Amino acid sequence: MRKLHLLAATLLCGTLPATGLHAQVASHSENIPGTGNPTSDGTDKYDTATPQKFRAPAPGAPQAPGVNAANLPPIGEIDPATLPAMVPQLSANPAAGDWVAYGRDDSQNRYSPLTQITPENVGKLERAFIYHTGSKPAPGQTNKWAAETTPIKVGRKLFMCSATNDIMALDATNGQQLWRFDAGVKYASIPYTAACKGVVYYTSSTVPEGQHCHTRIVESTLDMRLISVDSEDGKPCEGFGFNGQVNLMQGMGESVPGFVSMTSPPPIVNGVVVINQEVLDGQRRWAPSGVIRGYDAETGKFAWAWDVNNPDDHHQPADGKFYSRGTPNSWATMTGDNELGLVYVPTGNSAADYYSALRTDKENAVSSSIVAIDVKTGSPRWVFQTVHKDVWDYDIGSQPTKLDYKGSNGETVPALLVPTKRGQTFVLDRRTGQPVADYPVEEKPAPSPGVVPGDPRAPTQPWSTAFPRLGFPDLKESDMWGMSPIDQLFCRIKYRRAAYVGEFTPPHIDRPWIEYPGYNGGSDWGSMAYDPTTGVVIANWNNTPMYDQLVTRKQADKLGLMPIDDPNFKPGGGGAEGAGAMADTPYGIVVTPFWDQFTNMMCNKPPYGMIEAIDIHTKKVLWQHPIGTARANGPWGLPTFLPIQIGTPNNGGPIITAGGLVFVAAATDNQIRAIDIKTGKVVWSDVLPGGGQATPMTYEVDGKQYLAIMAGGHHFMMTPVSDQLVVYKLPG
Amino acid sequence: MNAAVRRRGAGSALSVLLGVLIALFGLIFIVGGADLAWLGGSWYYLICGVVLLASGALIVAGRVAGAWLFLLAWAATLLWTMWETSADTDWWGWLPRLFGPTLIAIAVLLVMPALRRRDTVRPLGAA
Repeated sequence: MRKLHLLAATLLCGTLPATGLHAQVASHSENIPGTGNPTSDGTDKYDTATPQKFRAPAPGAPQAPGVNAANLPPIGEIDPATLPAMVPQLSANPAAGDWVAYGRDDSQNRYSPLTQITPENVGKLERAFIYHTGSKPAPGQTNKWAAETTPIKVGRKLFMCSATNDIMALDATNGQQLWRFDAGVKYASIPYTAACKGVVYYTSSTVPEGQHCHTRIVESTLDMRLISVDSEDGKPCEGFGFNGQVNLMQGMGESVPGFVSMTSPPPIVNGVVVINQEVLDGQRRWAPSGVIRGYDAETGKFAWAWDVNNPDDHHQPADGKFYSRGTPNSWATMTGDNELGLVYVPTGNSAADYYSALRTDKENAVSSSIVAIDVKTGSPRWVFQTVHKDVWDYDIGSQPTKLDYKGSNGETVPALLVPTKRGQTFVLDRRTGQPVADYPVEEKPAPSPGVVPGDPRAPTQPWSTAFPRLGFPDLKESDMWGMSPIDQLFCRIKYRRAAYVGEFTPPHIDRPWIEYPGYNGGSDWGSMAYDPTTGVVIANWNNTPMYDQLVTRKQADKLGLMPIDDPNFKPGGGGAEGAGAMADTPYGIVVTPFWDQFTNMMCNKPPYGMIEAIDIHTKKVLWQHPIGTARANGPWGLPTFLPIQIGTPNNGGPIITAGGLVFVAAATDNQIRAIDIKTGKVVWSDVLPGGGQATPMTYEVDGKQYLAIMAGGHHFMMTPVSDQLVVYKLPG
Repeated sequence: MNAAVRRRGAGSALSVLLGVLIALFGLIFIVGGADLAWLGGSWYYLICGVVLLASGALIVAGRVAGAWLFLLAWAATLLWTMWETSADTDWWGWLPRLFGPTLIAIAVLLVMPALRRRDTVRPLGAA
């Protein structure tokens, strides 16, 4: 029935409904060099004497001005064994009307027990208020904005950050600003994206109730500071770091502003603030470290470090030394576990994502993995890897969710739900990192060794065979699409010219290769929602293949690809998701969407974004639908105003309410929608003032349930940027 | 010159324009389709391109057979679409394959009367 409806709508409408295809555009994507690209003769071993247009700065070279943005002095160390026991935190068991953590509570399941808004009355939702964060591109600035913010709510207050890290407390009933902490983040410090996914609420274990900074708001910033302010007045906590701030670039070695940043709320586990950081992709093999660090939540003092290539030294580097360079960085939101004393770190790739020959065995063991680190020592207790020797940028973007999994054998296991960009979802025992018995992981043969000299691919890759895959079968030539037969012919030729043998097609130099699933997922930073009362998982995901090609250093130089710390680097001249220099390696990388570059429409047929419900006990898909309409998308980026559910690329997670609803924005049609969790039907939607690339949240004050969504837009998704937090409630 | 004659003149001109357009599509199909077939892909475009080129040339020459040839290509394309998308669970695959060609098929039907007239005034082999 839906099939017929779609076709009828398609043929009746004079405008050709394309889609949010253009959403996958890298803003300065290079053209793929194609088959003329000179290939390697197999003898070009990389050595540092190879003439290269640009020389890397020494890793020990002084950091550029602005890297230590607030000129903070070095922070001292504290023995993690001496940290005070953490008092119980509100996030362990939030009041029904509160949303205390990024994923609402310590389990990070994005499930609210509120029931006032239901499928029956959701159609009456109206705007309660709009709050402007004030953070958006100034005239003349390149749009790098994508706020991605989810506020938290405690008592009668909302706490949130702007895209550039100012912290605000709002009256949750009317959006009136109660206080604001000006973080002073400079434009130069914005990395790939100006985002602040959220702040952390913390109750001090040492400052008594009634004193300043008994309850605190903690955030980490784009310019690598850890900031702690009082939740009542927004003033810095004097006892924390230096006037409430700690410089997280300490010990990181050579860097420039914008190279290293934080966009995710840092978890606080048993009194330790755990810090990961995003290191700009595609720049150079010896980029700043992906080190994971713990800091005392009370004083801001350094507690431990986990440096992959230096795993036995948990201290800060001595003067002139630095954490090992180029190690896998983690930019996703981590999940803490106070009971087991662990933090679950979703890791990414070693620097230079698409070339793995220069990685150490230690790095290869922990990249694109969940690493469970003991917060008392900084040592990993277990590692579970989702991609072996990843050269596809399949880093884990999703925050893992904790759940008690009742297995078919009757045993209840403390489990971790791990979504991935591959669309494989793993269910692990949190105590051991082993897959739970009902969700076995199978090592299946993968294309290997590939064609890049000296850089063989792994012979197998892990598959979570029992969990419904968030994805479609491998691409066929007949899946190529377009507005006309000519577009389709063009895409068929593109398909045939590329190397493609299904998932894990190895990188190629002499011609492009198709990466499918693409690096946008599957499941990206939006993560999943989980209803612990029913065992239903809600997941939205992308279906957007990429068209990639390695280029020789000579060609990369010709294309003008250079790393951000090169003196000749031009901002906007190649970024994290477009082409990259991958300096210090023999190759650069050119990455584009697999699309018709003349119409900006994807080469594969719709849908490009899906949402589905999965019963974790029966392992069945309850429903599955495209998410996002063609209203704001079309060929050449023009809106078609068509209400057809074509399914657009989407970023931002879903939430579930006990009232029987799923709320999700995410798609590039700039709408927020409510879905009846039983049927999967969209029962309400509203057009937002900007792109809804953020996870919504819901809360209750004075017996009224509210729904909040940051409509910040997303530069890479090409949705309109805004600084508006939009909050809804039922009338009356 | 009365209005009816002017209309007929316009109809002829439109049919020539349409023929040129179809021939152009045919050429693109032949060039791209040869590339695709060489790469191991579908032969549809190359074969269809030859038919379209012939159809376009005949229409330009004022021959009704050109119109019939296009309609034949359209019908074959419909069958090919049904075959190639038979495993699909939605109808998206029909859009690129049939939407544009259907619009052209409608145009071909509309110029059919004008073509008929041109065909009758020019004896066979005298184009």
